[in-house]
Amino acid sequence: MSSRNGTDGSLLASLPFTLGALAFAIAPHVQYLPVWVTVTFLYCAASRWYIEKRRWRLPPPWLRIVLALLSFLAILFSYEKVSGVGPGSALLAVMGSLKLLETRVRRDQFVLLFISIFMMMASLLREQFLWSLPYLIAGIVVTMTAWLNMSLARPVSLRRSIASSCRLILLAAPVAIAMWIFFPRISTPFWSVPIDTSSGVSGLSDNMSPGDISSLSLSDAVAFRVRFDGAVPPPSQRYWRGLILHQFNGRTWTGREPSIDPRARRRISVSGEPVRYQVVLEPTRQHWIFALDMVIDWNLKQSFMGPDQQLAYTLPIDQRLSYSAVSHTSYTTDPQMTSLAKSWYSRLPESRNLQSIALAREMRAAAGSDQKFIESVLRRFHEEDFYYTLQPPPLGRDPVDQFLFETRRGFCEHYASAFAVMMRAAGIPSRIVLGYQGGELNPLGNYMIVRQSDAHAWTEVWLPGRGWHRVDPTAAVAPERIESGMSGARYEAIGASWGLEAPAQWLHQLTLTWDALNARWNDWILGYGPENQQLFMQWLGMKKPDWQKMLFTLLGLVTLGIVAVSIILLRRNRPPPKDAAARLYAQFTRKTGLPPHTGETPQNYARRLHERPGQNPQSVDRVTTRYLAARYGTPDQQALQELKSAVVEFRRSA
Amino acid sequence: MRANSADMSSIQWQFPSRLFSPARAQSAVRTAVGNRIGLWARKRQGTDSHSTRLLSNRVYILPTGVGLIYGLMTFAMLLGSMNYNNNLSFLLTFVLVSLGLVSMHQCQRNLVGLEVSFAGAEPVFAGQLAEFRIAVTNHARNHRYNIQLYADRIGSEIDDLRPGESRVFQLDLPTTARGWIRLPRFGIRTLFPFELFRAWAWLHMDLQGLVYPRPADQAPAPPPTETAHGHRQHDSRGEEDFAGLRKFHAGDSPRQVAWKAYARSGELLSKQFAGADTSSQWFDLNQVNADDIEQRLSILTRWIVDAERTHADYGLRLPQVQISPANGAAHRHRCLEALALFGLTQEADA
Repeated sequence: MSSRNGTDGSLLASLPFTLGALAFAIAPHVQYLPVWVTVTFLYCAASRWYIEKRRWRLPPPWLRIVLALLSFLAILFSYEKVSGVGPGSALLAVMGSLKLLETRVRRDQFVLLFISIFMMMASLLREQFLWSLPYLIAGIVVTMTAWLNMSLARPVSLRRSIASSCRLILLAAPVAIAMWIFFPRISTPFWSVPIDTSSGVSGLSDNMSPGDISSLSLSDAVAFRVRFDGAVPPPSQRYWRGLILHQFNGRTWTGREPSIDPRARRRISVSGEPVRYQVVLEPTRQHWIFALDMVIDWNLKQSFMGPDQQLAYTLPIDQRLSYSAVSHTSYTTDPQMTSLAKSWYSRLPESRNLQSIALAREMRAAAGSDQKFIESVLRRFHEEDFYYTLQPPPLGRDPVDQFLFETRRGFCEHYASAFAVMMRAAGIPSRIVLGYQGGELNPLGNYMIVRQSDAHAWTEVWLPGRGWHRVDPTAAVAPERIESGMSGARYEAIGASWGLEAPAQWLHQLTLTWDALNARWNDWILGYGPENQQLFMQWLGMKKPDWQKMLFTLLGLVTLGIVAVSIILLRRNRPPPKDAAARLYAQFTRKTGLPPHTGETPQNYARRLHERPGQNPQSVDRVTTRYLAARYGTPDQQALQELKSAVVEFRRSA
Repeated sequence: MRANSADMSSIQWQFPSRLFSPARAQSAVRTAVGNRIGLWARKRQGTDSHSTRLLSNRVYILPTGVGLIYGLMTFAMLLGSMNYNNNLSFLLTFVLVSLGLVSMHQCQRNLVGLEVSFAGAEPVFAGQLAEFRIAVTNHARNHRYNIQLYADRIGSEIDDLRPGESRVFQLDLPTTARGWIRLPRFGIRTLFPFELFRAWAWLHMDLQGLVYPRPADQAPAPPPTETAHGHRQHDSRGEEDFAGLRKFHAGDSPRQVAWKAYARSGELLSKQFAGADTSSQWFDLNQVNADDIEQRLSILTRWIVDAERTHADYGLRLPQVQISPANGAAHRHRCLEALALFGLTQEADA
């Protein structure tokens, strides 16, 4: 029993590497793991090292089993499930920690290294930043060095083992890159396992309650990036349509679950020039797909257009999505509407916001026409003392009334909500659109960044003959919000308020550079999916690329690469270079025409040559003595020179 | 040996209850397949000289258990990467796959080009371990790691070879009976770099080592000593005073060779010493009091070992061999060899 749990210090050489590899693999998970998991790992790693150093015994098996059961239950308790990247990585981390406590012999460490490789992969499923690549490479080096150290019979120096594993990885790199490029990518997932991406994903919420605690996102996180094929639409046209809210309960606007409407696309008619662009959308964990108002064509599998011309994806978006789309900024939709639909889009809750409703009806009567009524409401927002602010006061039971008549402070949500309520009160169908407005052009990458802080809400009203028609009441209050966007304005404001305009500018430049790098990274590396691969294959000259051709190319290249590796390794097996004297002597033995026997001494060989006819005894002796002097005497250049001349002058005498 | 195991299996038919032991069947199959492969390799490679360079056509390679798990793991990772279309995890997977391929080549190259030579096996007494010493030389400019020699389940130390280095590995084979212990085949193997693959080469050098009979634990007293006087005092067996040189005979100890004279003349001469007084014993197989021939040989062995320890002269008389009294390592070896091979056919030399 004791011998099975005892340690003998045989792991002292390899254990630090294995612990390092595990720590390296767990580090990116730490921010998502429950704290106790990290603590368990650190404790197990430290105590395992100490046990090995002190040659103590490992904890008995029953204790390890109890610990394993406890931690499994604890994970179940923390996550309430065991599938998915979150609980999976927690489980792996705990398994690794507990396995440490039963790692006794060298080969037990294999399990630990397998665990650290899986954890490395799990962290890539979670997030793939620009720095994830160098971190991944470092992780591979650390793990493989640990692996090498574990399998070596005799410990070698740290430098040497790192050099060895780096050499092997470098030899493997070309083959790996060829595989990466040519391995056929598929677009449909086999199964769907939730990935617990960073908890801080800020997207649009599915509903809107102006007057609750301010929920406007000020995050600089990128919502999506857009690359335009031609001219970039002016800021006032950059409305990125997201989801539609059309149900109002007096306080909160809600929309529909994503649903498909095959006829929605046909109800759009467009004019003017199309705008073509590609979007790389960051994960949102929602279904909505953002496109410039109004999109008529897009290429993204598993996506569809809903009844309100909003695009959606069949699955929650937890991976970066890239798609191209075509939009028209001048368009009309739904020129006809049934009376049922009209009444649906004009519904307001009874007995809520009565003041606003009365005001709207009064203004509608005074205006005479729907168009004039809309203008008068916008003029009211513009001319009376309404303010645009990101920190509005909270609103009570009738938020629209309170906003319109008391506080008069708010941001886009307040204005959109109040406007839509007034429209509905006057019998004009209206709805709220949530999306993004604006976006900053990054001159470095010639693309547009749309950030979470660009999130926006506006309204659409339906007029007979014109169909749905965008009206942005925020533009009436704060035209600069629409014209220059949120991000640019905020950077300047921060800089100016601190009296640091130049550094702020400089910092902003730096941010843009970093973002341009990230955009390239997303486009070229992370976005290398089925479509990009097709394009790249065509660029390489492959006609009609399909998966068979790619696989054959892949196999060919891998074979080539491995043959090259094999040759490189074979060249390292060459004998070490002979010293100069031995080379000259070999030249001499070739000249004599009589090969020496193995193990024959130069003197015996010379004696044998003497007995042969046709050899000049003097020159044989001269070469022999000079060879012995050059090879076995004190090494100097002169002896070598003499040997060389003797060999050169040596002739088989006629 | 093989005929023997066939007999065993025919006996087993009479005890059907034992026949269906899966472990036994498995090991029998493994032995049969192993023998088959061994015969094939021997036929393919022929008998090797006592110094053999490993060429790549005789270095075999197969994945280890860890290698198979590694393969499964990379396959699972590939499926995962495809599912999530995750390009960095594709990269990790492919780096691991190609590392596996590279390590396969590295593993095989770790053996190719090594020179394996037999460096002798000292005679041992039955029951001791026969130590076959095999030198491995790395003529290449790169390091060789984790080299091990093995014969069936017996493995040598695992060691590294620096460029140009030569290292002697030792295979300790258990011995049971006197005579020749044969090592028709041994192997050299490596698991470097990641233990994902095992590369090995078989060498058929037909090595053999001599096994003396086991010295009897309890032996009767040896026959009485006869002291020789007069003329015999000046024979060639004493080791005390230098008496002159004579021509070298096979069996003379290298310590007796006059190396300085050899350097001068090129002729091998042995130094002769004159002992002051020589006493000798005759050990005769027919006079040993035991029933069993092996027991008698054991007793003789014990006498020789003890006599050598006291530097006494002893002679050996076997039915067809007579070795006149003397002492010294060479004489001891001659006697013990005669005992070891007594009654055995000369097939070893064939």
